[in-house]
Amino acid sequence: MEDTGIGKYTRGFGLSFAITSLLSALLVIIKEKNEETILAAMAAATGHHWVTHGAINVILFIVLGWLFSKSNGGRGVNLTANTLMCCIVGAVVVNGLLISGFYLLG
Amino acid sequence: MDNNTLLLIHPALGGLATLAALWVFVDTLNGSEASWSRVKKASIICAVLIWLTYFTGGYWYVRYYYTDKAIIKSGPWPIGHGFFMETKEHVFLMLLLLATYLPIAASNNVSASKSAQKVLLWVSGLIVPVSLSMEGSGAVISIAVKLGLLLKKAQGG
Repeated sequence: MEDTGIGKYTRGFGLSFAITSLLSALLVIIKEKNEETILAAMAAATGHHWVTHGAINVILFIVLGWLFSKSNGGRGVNLTANTLMCCIVGAVVVNGLLISGFYLLG
Repeated sequence: MDNNTLLLIHPALGGLATLAALWVFVDTLNGSEASWSRVKKASIICAVLIWLTYFTGGYWYVRYYYTDKAIIKSGPWPIGHGFFMETKEHVFLMLLLLATYLPIAASNNVSASKSAQKVLLWVSGLIVPVSLSMEGSGAVISIAVKLGLLLKKAQGG
């Protein structure tokens, strides 16, 4: 594997952060568009939809990060530092744009 | 604890977390041998402070916000809830993960790896403006409540 100069947990959890952030933004739109079903179910699960949303994010981040870090025969997901940075920056920007755009236009 | 005290602690912790992220960014840019142990400590402090911000703000939001929400929605700045609070509460969930990731990024052998330093610079550099936007949104929400209360008083409510 290419020596990326960054550890397997940094690569694994970095990719996990990017994926979880995008899924979190999509979940915002999906739950708000389905108030009677998904939003209500999320609210019923913990008492508040936002608490459930946060719990889903944290669990997904940990599980995906662990899986990516242990993948590739235990050497971790194969990503260069530049690709990882693009994923992280892209996820932050898209998360912000999707959520703010949804509430601005909604 | 009084809910107004809790409401003051929440942005104070967030402000301190922003400073910790800025500390990581500047010390990583500085990049001297003495920097790296400080960077690791500051990244952990940043993550802990963001989690404390989440718990204090989250508790207040779930427990007390509904009264402020009603005031904002019936006041002259309903956008304080419809855009600023809704965006803030959901973008914060991403910020929580980004701050949790900061000590993981700092756990590399950053002194020997330019790549690891770049990742650390980007992650800490992203936390600062996102955190500041959270603080700014909180200020707008507070003003929206104040304007809602003033309108209510002017109407004899």
